[in-house]
Order: sequence, then structure tokens, then C-alpha cells
Amino acid sequence: MSEIATDRESGNEARAVALRDEQLHARRVRVDRMFVWLFLIQYIGGIIAALTVSPYAWEGKVHTVHLHVWIAVIGGAGIIILPILLAIFRPGTTLTRHVIAASQMLSSALLIHLTGGRIETHFHVFGSLAFLAFYLDWKTLLTATVVVAGDHFLRGIFWPESVYGVANPEWWRFLEHAGWVAFEDVFLIWACVMGKREIAASAARQAQVEHLSELEQLKSAALEMAMAEMQVASA
Amino acid sequence: MKRRALVTALLIAAGLIWAATVGAMYHAVRHFETTPGRGAAARTMWPARSRIVPVRDRWTLVMLIHPHCSCTRASLQELERIIEMSDPSLQTYVVVYRPADFQAGWEKTETFEAAKHLQRAHVIVDPDGAEARLFGGFTSGQTFLYDREGALRFSGGITSLRGHAGVNRGSMDVVDIVHAKAQQGTHPVFGCAIVTTESEKRP
Repeated sequence: MSEIATDRESGNEARAVALRDEQLHARRVRVDRMFVWLFLIQYIGGIIAALTVSPYAWEGKVHTVHLHVWIAVIGGAGIIILPILLAIFRPGTTLTRHVIAASQMLSSALLIHLTGGRIETHFHVFGSLAFLAFYLDWKTLLTATVVVAGDHFLRGIFWPESVYGVANPEWWRFLEHAGWVAFEDVFLIWACVMGKREIAASAARQAQVEHLSELEQLKSAALEMAMAEMQVASA
Repeated sequence: MKRRALVTALLIAAGLIWAATVGAMYHAVRHFETTPGRGAAARTMWPARSRIVPVRDRWTLVMLIHPHCSCTRASLQELERIIEMSDPSLQTYVVVYRPADFQAGWEKTETFEAAKHLQRAHVIVDPDGAEARLFGGFTSGQTFLYDREGALRFSGGITSLRGHAGVNRGSMDVVDIVHAKAQQGTHPVFGCAIVTTESEKRP
């Protein structure tokens, strides 16, 4: 009897895990699709920003298309091509999520550059992290943070003025910038863990309901069979 | 099976494009931002033939700008900071380039308006860069600081990179010199060309 109960419990758990994975996968596919649209909107936004802020480079009275416009058109497309194709052909996979996270942070860096380093555009990084949290996968946030820290670290080495405004910043300055991203990460990671637990709990409840409903069906079938047997016996 | 192989090949190609784009973009942006414009051949004393007449016994700052140069907005932001941090007696002139064969009004851009809104600054339109040539400047954002005797004390840019406002050696030097904390200064200038090799030969 106890063996049967244990079998049923493990069957329930397996069903709960399958339901949880199914729901998470469906959610992550939806978020992948959301990012496809977001990448396209950001791409157009980047081109508009470049055309508005710095359309031309000048030499006296002669003007040529500004490097920022080329970067927005060609560079912007290069950044989003891989995540978009992955979201279309490999939706819901771990690789897709991480490439999307890295590309989203690179899009932030591009937009910040195209808008002339405006402080306001830096909020794009924090908004993007919040969007990435929709995946309920805290590792995706780590990838995004590593890209931000890596960008600051490399620029801090090769042309520090672009990030810190001074030529000789302290070596640890990139950690200060990444620290603010990590500050947001703490709360988003907590939200991801909680969100995943809620989905798991909901999946466990659904598995339980399915199991009870299955038991009810078995009981009804047994009852119907018993009644049929009684009718046959009384006849 | 064939479709799967095609998709994999497509994704690998996209991955290579992605990596190459990121690398190329960093290289292009770094090169663009860190390459200064042509440095000035500045006169050591105030150019006598200039239309600008410096006020006696006052420090005079002259900045040359190209009104359509997007990087110059950062230079003007830095100039605003310098004006705020300096003595009110500092005379500031923003010299705005306009090609001789272009209609009046061509220079009236957002950058021009930003220059006009600077406190205690005079904006002067410079047809064909004649004043720029007199001062020996070639690049938008080029700043000259002359002392009370008309001697050149600073020549250079006041931004750290192209289009980057923020604390930098150039603007700090200007403030230090005006406050007698430094004697001379120079710094690379970042911006569009005003006086080109071709226009340099004109009188």
C-alpha cells in the first residue's frame, strides 16, 4: 500500500516538474518574442537619435554623413541580428536568453553613445535589466551585468575619458559603476527566485488537482462497474 | 534534417557577424572619440588685426566654433562651467564660423543658440573663418585664453574627447590659470574642422 502511495507521490512530483517546465518555457518563448520587437524598436530609435543629434560631420562648409549614423545603421543591425534569429529559430533556450541579455546591454551602450552620453539614456540599462527579469532566470541578469562591467573595464583601460571623464581613474572605478547594476540585480534576482517558486507551487497544485480528478474518475468507474455487476446479479 | 543544418549555419554566420560588429564598433568609436582635431598655431600675443577688441586689464577667452558640429555642444557645456567658476571680469567671445558663400542664417543652429545663452559671453559671426585664421585655430572648440597684458596663456580644447562633456584637464587648466594656480596650459582639441587646408591659404 505504502509503495503504491510512494509511486503516486513521485508521479505527482514528476507531473508538477513537467508542468512547471512547460509554463516556464512558454513564458520564456513569449519574452524572447517581446525582445524581438524591443530590438527592432531600439534599432529604429538609435537611427532616429543619430539623425537628430549628429547627422553630419563637417569640414568647413563640406559635410559628410556622421560616423554615428553608420554605427546606428550597420552596428545596430549587427548587434541585433543574432538575438533575433535565435529568438525565431531557438526560442526558449538558455543560449537565446543569454545572447539576448548581452545584446540588450550592448544596445544600451550604443544608445548612450548615440545620444552623446546623456545621463538620462543610462536609465536604459536599468530598464533593460527589469525586462530581462521577466525570464525568471537570474543567470541572465548575471550575463547582462558581466557585459556592463566588461564594457566599463575595457573602456577604462583603453579610453577611460569616455566613461569617467578623466584619463587616470582608479583601477576599481568600473566596479563602482557595475555596483549600481548589481544593486538592482539583488532585488531582481530575489524576484526571479520568488517568481519561479510561485510557478512551481502553482504547477504542484495543478498536478495535485489532476491527480485527484484522476482518482475521482477511477472511483466513479469502479462504482459504475459495481452497480452494473449488482444489476446483473439481481436480474 | 536539411533545414536544421541550414538554420545552424545561419546562426553561426549571425554569431560571427555579431562578434565582428561588436569588435569593429568599439574600434571605430574609440578611434573617432580619441582622435583630436588639428591643433592651433596660436599667436603668443593678441592678434592686432582681429575685429575683437579685448577689454584692458581683463582676461579674455576666445572659443572658435563650427555651428553644425555636434561635438561642439560638449565644448559649450564646458565653457559654461568655466564661466561659472571664473571671475566675472573674464571676457568671453564665441566666434561662430560661417562660409562666405553661404547665406546669413546658416549658422543659427541649436549650438549657436546655446552659445547665445551663455552668461557674459559675446557671440560673433565669423565669415569664412577669417578670425579663426587670425587666431591660428583650425578646429571647432579651440579655445584661447589671453591674460590682462594680451599674452596667450592657454590654447587647446576643453573637452576630454569628441563630444564628451565632463571634468577634464583642458577646462581645469583654464580655471587654474585664471585663478593664478597655473601659468600656461594646452590640451588636444576635439571637433569638426573650421579652417581646412584649402581655406587656410586665403587672406
